[in-house]
Amino acid sequence: MATVRIVFALISANVRAQLQYRMNFVIWLFVGIAFQMTGFFFLWALLARFHSVGGWSLEEIAFLYGLRLLAHALAVLVFGGAQLVDWSVHDGDFDRHLVRPLPPLLTVITWFRPSAVGDLLGGLVLFIAAARLVAVDFSLPAISYLALAIAGGMLLESAVRIAFASMAFRFLRTNALLFFADGIFNNFGNLPLRIFGGLIEVLLTFVVPVAFVAYIPASVVLGHSQELALQPPLAYLAPLVGALVFGAAVLLWRHELPLYQSSGH
Amino acid sequence: MTHIARMDTQTILTYRLNFGMHLLGRLTQIYLLKVVWTAVYEGQAAIDGVPLQTLIAYLTLANLQTWFIYPEAIDVLPGRVRNGAVALDLIRPLGLLPQLVAHSLGRTVGVTAMVVVVLPIVAVVGSLQLPSSAEAAGLYLVSTVLAYTITLAIGILVALVAFWTVETNGVGLLFLYVNQFFAGALIPLWFFPDWLRTLAELLPFQTQAFLPLSLYFGRLQGTEALRALGIEVFWCVVLWVAAIVVWKRAIRRIHIQGG
Repeated sequence: MATVRIVFALISANVRAQLQYRMNFVIWLFVGIAFQMTGFFFLWALLARFHSVGGWSLEEIAFLYGLRLLAHALAVLVFGGAQLVDWSVHDGDFDRHLVRPLPPLLTVITWFRPSAVGDLLGGLVLFIAAARLVAVDFSLPAISYLALAIAGGMLLESAVRIAFASMAFRFLRTNALLFFADGIFNNFGNLPLRIFGGLIEVLLTFVVPVAFVAYIPASVVLGHSQELALQPPLAYLAPLVGALVFGAAVLLWRHELPLYQSSGH
Repeated sequence: MTHIARMDTQTILTYRLNFGMHLLGRLTQIYLLKVVWTAVYEGQAAIDGVPLQTLIAYLTLANLQTWFIYPEAIDVLPGRVRNGAVALDLIRPLGLLPQLVAHSLGRTVGVTAMVVVVLPIVAVVGSLQLPSSAEAAGLYLVSTVLAYTITLAIGILVALVAFWTVETNGVGLLFLYVNQFFAGALIPLWFFPDWLRTLAELLPFQTQAFLPLSLYFGRLQGTEALRALGIEVFWCVVLWVAAIVVWKRAIRRIHIQGG
C-alpha cells in the first residue's frame, strides 16, 4: 500500500512540474492531437470517396483507429517514462533510481508526457464517436471484452517500451530502435491488416504482434474475425497476449538491470 | 553562398545513419500507401482514368519530392535565434535570407545525391515511371524549380516567426503534416472530396507535388498546363514579397539572446 502511495505522490509531483509551463503543455497537447489526427484524416478523406478499404467501412476503421489510439495513449501515459532510461543509463543518471526505496521500474515510470494526454483525448473522441456508428450490440460480454482488449493492447505497447529500456543496460543506446518499433505500431496498428495479405500479415501477427493491440479485438467485435490470420476461438484470447508479453518484458528488465554500470564514476 | 551550401551537403553525406532512418520512414510510408491504395482499387484497372500503376508511381514520386524539397530554414533559424547564434549570421557579409537559401540548396543537393543511390530500392518498394513525353518532362522540370522557389519562401516565412515567439516547437512538424496532405502526397487532389479539393486549390501546397506531378504524368496539357505554371508563378511572387516584407519587420525587432 505504501508503495502505491509513493508512486502516486511521485506521479502527481511530475504532473505538477509539467503544468508549471502551461503554454508548453498546451502546445504539446495539440501536437499530440494533430499527429494522431493527420493519420486518421487521410483515411477519412480516402473513404469519403471510396467507402471501403479491404471490406472495412469508415465507421469500422474509425473504431479500430480509436481502439488502438486508446491502448497507445494509456501505454505512453503510464510507461512513457521507460523512454528516458536510455538517456539516464548513458549519462550515469540512473543511479538515482537505485537508491530509492522502490523497485526502479516503478520510479522510472512516474515521468509524465503531456502529448499522451492529447493522444488520450483524441482516442476517446474517435472511439466513442465510432462506437455509436458501428453496428455492434454492446452487451455486457462485448463491453468487458473491449475493456480487456484495451488493457491488453496497453500492456503490449508498454512491453515494447520496457523491453527496449531493459536493453539499454547492455547496449547503452536503444532509443533509435524503440523509435523504429514504435513507428511500426503507429503505422500498421491502425489499419485492417488483411490488406497486407500473406506473409506481412503473418509477420505482423506472430513476429511483431501489432495485430493483437487492436486489429484482432476490433475484428472480433465487428464480426470480421473470419478474415484473420489467427481464427477464433484463438482470436478471442488476444487480450491475454498483451499480459504475457508484458510479463516477459518485466522478466527481461529484472534480468538486465544488474548489468547497469554507472558510467563516468 | 556556395560555402554554406557545401557545408549542408556534407552534413547530409556525413550523417548517413540519420539519412538511413529518414529513408526507412519514407519507404515505409510509400509501402503503406501502395498497400492501402491497392486495397481501395479492389482489382479495378483504373479509377477516373487513373491506372493503379500510375497512381503508385505518382505517390512514390510525390513522397520523394516532398522529401528533397524541404523548407530547411524552419530547422535552421529558430535554434539560432534561441541560442543567440543568429547574431553571427547577421554580421556575415551575406544577408540572412541568402544564407537560408544556401542552407536549403545544400541540403537538397545532399539528399538528392543519396536518393539517386537508393532509387532502385525505392522502385521496388513503390513504383517508378518515366514522364509521359519529352514535353511533360520539360514542364515538370520548370514546375519543380518554381515549387522549390515557393518552398524557400514558405520556409523563411515560418522560420521568421521565431523572431516573435522565440519558441517554434512543433511548428516545423505541423508544417510537414499539413504540407504533405495538401500537396497531394497521400491522396492526389483528383480523389479529394469536392469541398476539400476547393480548399486545397486555394492553398499554395498543391504546387509542392500535385501540380508538378500532374504535368509529369501528362494529366495537364496545353492551356491547362500553362494555367498550372501560372498558379505557381503567382504563389512564387506573393510568398516572396511576403517573406521580404516580414523579414524587414523582423530585423527591426530582433533580440539577441545572451548578447
